[in-house]
Formats: sequence, structure tokens, C-alpha cells
Amino acid sequence: MGRDGTSAAVRIEGLWKRFGEQVAVAGIDLEIPSGRFIGLVGPNGAGKTTTLSMVTGLLRPDSGRVEIAGHDVWRDPAAVKSRIGVLPEGLRLFERLSGRELLTYTGQLRGLPGEQVDRRATQLLDVLGLAGAQHKLVVDYSTGMRKKIGLAAALLHNPEVLFLDEPFEGVDPVSAQSIRKVLQQYTASGATVVFSSHVMELVESLCSWVAVLAGGRIRAQGTLEEVRGEAATLQDAFLELVGAQGQAAGENLDWLGGGVR
Amino acid sequence: MSTTANASATKASGASLTPVFIRLKLSLLRNGLRQSSKRKAVWITSIVFTALYAALQLLGLIVLRGHPHVAALTVLLAVVLAVGWAFVPLFFPSGDETMDPTRLAMLPLRPGPLTVSLLAASLVGIGPAFTLVLAVGSVIATAHGGAAFAVGVPAVALTLLTCVALARAVATANVRLLSSRKGRDLALLSGLVIAVGIQVANYGLQKLSNAGGMARLEPFAKVLRWVPPGSAMDAVRSTGQGSYGLAAAQLALSAAVLALLLWWWQRGLTKVLTSPDSSTLAAAEPERKRVSTGLARLLPQGRTGAVMLRSLRYVLRDPKTRMTWTSQLVIGALVPFLNVARHNGNSYWAFMAVAMVGGQMYNLFGTDGSAFWLVMQTINGPRDAYLELRGRALAFALPAVPYLVLLVTALTAFTGHWDTLPEVLGLGLALLGAMFATGAVTSALLPYAVPQGNAFKNVGPGQTSIAWLGLLGGLLAASAQCVPLVLLTVWLHTSGHHGWLPLLLPLGFGYGLLAAWTGLRIAAPRLARRLPEVLAAVAKA
Ligand SMILES: Nc1ncnc2c1ncn2[C@@H]1O[C@H](COP(=O)(O)OP(=O)(O)OP(=O)(O)O)[C@@H](O)[C@H]1O
Ligand SMILES: [Mg+2]
Repeated sequence: MGRDGTSAAVRIEGLWKRFGEQVAVAGIDLEIPSGRFIGLVGPNGAGKTTTLSMVTGLLRPDSGRVEIAGHDVWRDPAAVKSRIGVLPEGLRLFERLSGRELLTYTGQLRGLPGEQVDRRATQLLDVLGLAGAQHKLVVDYSTGMRKKIGLAAALLHNPEVLFLDEPFEGVDPVSAQSIRKVLQQYTASGATVVFSSHVMELVESLCSWVAVLAGGRIRAQGTLEEVRGEAATLQDAFLELVGAQGQAAGENLDWLGGGVR
Repeated sequence: MSTTANASATKASGASLTPVFIRLKLSLLRNGLRQSSKRKAVWITSIVFTALYAALQLLGLIVLRGHPHVAALTVLLAVVLAVGWAFVPLFFPSGDETMDPTRLAMLPLRPGPLTVSLLAASLVGIGPAFTLVLAVGSVIATAHGGAAFAVGVPAVALTLLTCVALARAVATANVRLLSSRKGRDLALLSGLVIAVGIQVANYGLQKLSNAGGMARLEPFAKVLRWVPPGSAMDAVRSTGQGSYGLAAAQLALSAAVLALLLWWWQRGLTKVLTSPDSSTLAAAEPERKRVSTGLARLLPQGRTGAVMLRSLRYVLRDPKTRMTWTSQLVIGALVPFLNVARHNGNSYWAFMAVAMVGGQMYNLFGTDGSAFWLVMQTINGPRDAYLELRGRALAFALPAVPYLVLLVTALTAFTGHWDTLPEVLGLGLALLGAMFATGAVTSALLPYAVPQGNAFKNVGPGQTSIAWLGLLGGLLAASAQCVPLVLLTVWLHTSGHHGWLPLLLPLGFGYGLLAAWTGLRIAAPRLARRLPEVLAAVAKA
């Protein structure tokens, strides 16, 4: 199992999560193939962040099983944690460290040898365009820079599976391109990237496998072609799947724009 | 647009703007009554107290009328009021929404009329009313003769306007600072500044209430009499003594400074309203790297060293952590010394410092906030959890143990009871070790969030009971752990085996180490099992 490309990188069975009355994730079954670029899409509040948090061991599910590279996330966390990298959304970093210090700290916690951490950190900072800001405190970074340093920290230990929650949010086009290059090279070597996004064009151009999440349930999963089906673009297929087609936005806001102010 | 049209437009908007801002201020005041009943009670209480306080001050000033040195007092009072006006809004920027010019940046307003209407609006509120009462009281205390009372009117107006304009101008000039990270860090220190300020004021009042205290003010007053708004207040006295020229000069000086303040404020407003925020363009600090790598080389390799280095860096760089450390070290030393000095007590008061410093161990992950996810991603089992806890405990011990040794030695030197040094130090170290032990356990079992960016909130919403439970339970457990050692000490004293007492130092040290080690061992597997729960708790802020 693992990087042989035939078995599932991530296997999810009957995953549930409630926050009080609110059901955030309502029984997800998913088998994510390895060695691919996987897109997890869904409208706001669909449960993407909640699902990724449970898959990566950050949030305890109410019920259900998650296996990564054949290891149970909640029963064998040691085997899982060294194999995955995470870029969560809405969680802070240690912001009173500089970018480089943050990478060194993360690497040392992961048990990597010092000079290896140094070398990898230098290369990652270079590739992600953070070399100039490496001695600045993360608290002074911009949104995009935070995403990039978070990505660097997630890649540092060369994980088998990478989970990224909205990695391109707030990132400029040039940096987005460099992130894409890094990730594509990384998947080409047999690793798996799972990322969530709202931007369908991005998912369409990057991913070969897609899962659509809405209301805490999987609405569709499969290769890009399977999910797209008859529709012209993934955007259309998505709108149809989550049931937002035909909801004309114009009727109630007819005063907006143009004419008399 | 021609200049005349421009000017008339400005005038028009200035005239219509003033009532708007005054109404805004009034409704802000009234909104104090529309909050939840608890906050309403707090709001009303604060108003009642301010009113009472102002009334007392007024009464005091009236009673002091005719006192030979009362003019010195009123001058000082005016200057202190102005200083207060300049600084207090910086620390409580949320107190008055119209104070923050960035909120007005989106409105199509010109700085000129804006200055006028904001100044008018600033005169509405509890603070200005309080200042007005004190200024009127000062005039009553110092004015002799009709002319002096007549001068009192512009003097009061100038004092009040100078205070308000100063507050506005400083706040505007500091908008960049306040909206930048450095400024917010600074504001976190406000708690310390206020505490120190109260101490200093207290000390000053005590000095004053001594016989002949007010005479001591004269040298200060000699200078401050030329510092507005003190000069405006002193003009009242000058008039009463017939020095009309002097009074005119003092009033003119005050008016000139007020004009200068208004000009400065308006310039600041123009800048804020037109130029973008550049606070994030801070230069890189390569010097920081050198210092840190020096420290890094001294620490052990691997997880222990990484955790220690990160914790120690946070003591230096995180304003909240730094403030906690500073205040606890200072208070932990101050209280024992004061008690020893006052009551001729013994150096056992050092335990107070142990409790204060050790208390910080009780919520090790709280200050991490949601960044704890990064730590938990690298904890693969009890072994890693143990190393993490031990690293944090060591980072605590690094400053705490030398501090304790120094404090106990200094206290002993102060009291002169050198024979008690070994037992006090031994028991202190044992208690510290026990607190590390229980702290590790409560950190794993009863974690809570520590809100960042607020100097006065140390517990996340809805977590107060958890925090208290952890602290009290932990303190009880730590004290209980020290009981055998305390019993041994008492027995050695009562049975006359005084020769054995020095043994308590190594014994206490060893006992503390053992207790800490046991505690970390007990806490580690629990922490490893509860990682998601800990994250959920500390990320709550
Ligand atoms: N800690 C929490 N407490 C209560 N409700 C929560 C919590 N976290 C998430 N939820 C709820 O669970 C649902 C799913 O949230 P989630 O953050 O997973 O959505 P998402 O797909 O990531 O959305 P977005 O695209 O906006 O990031 C939402 O309805 C949200 O309100
Ligand atoms: Mg999300």
C-alpha cells in the first residue's frame, strides 16, 4: 500500500460530525486514489474544513473511520502523522517566529536532522518566493505569505499525502503558479494532494479526481470527466449538483447599479 | 471648483456636521443604557463613581480655597489632567468610536470642518464633564476678586479645549501606530503602565498628605505655571494678585498652544484621510537571528531544544507572555519584600513567588492558541507528549529556578536569618517541582484559551470555571505533595535536630525533580490521548 498507485491513499467510512444541533458532516464515504491531484469542492458551509480536520486528526469525529495509506488515523496516529502534511484553514501559526524559525521549529519537532531542515527550508523559501521575508516575523506577513509559509511547513518532512484547505486563497497569480509547480512536481513523484477550493477553474485545470461536497454529504466523486458528465464545465456541473442553477439573483436587487442613485 | 465655492461648501458642511457628531456622541452615551443588564450596571456604576469622585474633588478644592500653596496644586492638577487626556485614549481606543479617524476615512469629509465638529463632539461625555468640574473647582480655589473670576472663564475653556484637542491630536498622530502590530503590542503593556501609574500616584498622595506636603509642589509649579494648560489656570492666580500683564501672557500662551495643537491635529487628519496605511512595511531584522542562534546553540538538540527555544522566544517576543512574566516576577519579589519589611516576617514569603511563577505552568498550551495544531501534528504518542511537556517545563525552569535562588538569598540577606536559607530554598524548589507536575496534568486535562490582543482577558469565553478548577485543584495538589517534606522540617525543628536542617536543600531539590518527573510521566499519555480536545479548548479565543 501507499505509493504503489493502485490502492486508496485515503479511505473514509461513515464519517459524522455534529456541532450541537448543526450537522456539519452527515455520513461521508470516500475513497481517494493515491498519486493524484484531488479536488474537494463545495459551497460555503458544506463541511469541507470539518471533513479535512477529521481526516487529518485535528478534530475527533462523532463516528466513522478514516484510513490513510492503510493506517487508521484515530487508532494509529503515529503512523499517520509522519505520512501526512496539513495546511489547515482558520488556525494560526506560531506568529512570533520568523518564517525561517517556524520552518526550523517544525522540522525539529518532526525529528528531522538539523542540516537537512536547513537545506530544505532554504529551498522551500526560495521556490515560494519568501527568501526576502524569511527573517520577518510571521505576524507581519500578508495573507498570501502566511499560506505559503504554511505550505512550506507542511511539505518540509516530505509527506505521502498532503491536505490543503483553500491553499490558493489570497495568493497572487505569480505565487499561485509557483505553488502549482511545486505541487505538480510533488504528485508526479507518486504523492497525493487533497485540496479544497471554491474556484472551479482552478480545480478543473489542476485535478484529475474530484469530490463534490454539499450539506455535509458527498454529491459526486470520481475522475474529473465522470463528475463533469454532460455539462460543459465543472462550474456548470457543480451548480447543478448543489442545486443553485436557475436561482436568478437579479429579481430582488433590481435597484442595484445603474439609473437613479 | 473655484476657491470661494470651495470655502462656502466647507463652511456649509462644517455647520451641518457639528450637530451630527454631537448627536452621535449623545447616542453613544445613551447606548450605554441599552446594553445587557450586567454591562448597564457597570456603566451606571462607573458614571456614579465618576460623579462622586468629581464632587469630592470639587469639595476638596473649595475647602482648600485660601491655602497658601493651593495655586501650585491647581497648576499641577491641570497639567496632570492634560497628560491623562493625552495617554488614556491610547490605551482604551475603543472607548470612543468618534476618536478613531480611520472610521471616518471612507466618508466624504474635509479636514477643516471635521476638526471643528469633532472638537465640539469631544466636549460631550463623561470625561469632559469630569475635567470641567475640576477646572471650575480650581478656579474657585484660587480666584480672588471679580477680575480673577472673570479670567477664570477663559481659563476653564482653554484648559478643557486643550485637554480634548490634545487627546484627539495624539490619537490621530498615533493612528498608524495603533493600527500596526507594534502599537497593539504596546497597548498590551497598558495594564502594567496603569498599575505603575496608580502606585506612583498613591505614593505622591501619601507624600502630599504629610504635614507641609503642599509646599513641596512649589518647585514643580514654578515650571508648570508656564506649561499649558497649567498656565491658563495660573492666570487666575496672577489676576487675583494684580499681575495683569503676567496673566495676559499666560492666557496668550495657552491659546497659542491650543492653536498649535489644533493645527497639528488637522494636519494629522489630512494625512490619515488621504494616505494609505504603511504599517506592515517593517524592515527585516537580521540582528534578531544572531541573538537567537547563540541561544539555540546552548540548548539541547531535538525536540527538547526546539520546544525550549520557541517558548523562550515567546517570553521575549509575545507581548502578552512577556507582560505575564514581567508582572509575576516583579510582584512575586515585591510582595515578600514588602511583607518582610513591614511585619518583620521571615523568608518563607518566597513561596508566594513560587506560587505566582509556577501558576503559569497550569495552562501550558493556552498561549499557543489555535497554533497548537502544529504541535499536535508532531506528537505521535506518549513519548513525544512527554518531550513536549518536559521542554516547556525546562523553558520555565530556566528563568524560574535562578530567580527563586536569588530571591530567597536576597530575602535571607534582608532578614539576616541565614540558618533558614537551606530549608526555605529546599522547600521552595520542592514546591516548584510539584507545581510543574500538577501544571503538566492540568494543562492536559483542563486546558483553556488565552485571548490574544486583550491585556485584561486571560480566559476564553465560557472557560472561567475550568481555569479556576485547574488553578485551585493544581495548587491544592501541589501543596499536598509537599506535605511530607514540610512535616520533616517541622519535626527537625521541634525535636531539636537543627544540625540536619541544611540537608533539606538537596532533599527539596531532589524531591522537586522527582515530583516534576512523575507529573510529566502521568500527564504525557493523557495529553497524547486528548490532543483534539486540547486544540478545541485552546483555539476558542
Ligand atoms: N466549531 C464549530 N462550531 C459550530 N459549528 C461549526 C463549527 N465548525 C463548523 N461548523 C459548522 O459546520 C458547517 C460546516 O462548516 P465547514 O467549516 O466545514 O464548511 P466549509 O465547507 O469549510 O465552508 P467554507 O467554504 O466557507 O470554508 C457549517 O455550517 C458551520 O457553521
Ligand atoms: Mg472551510
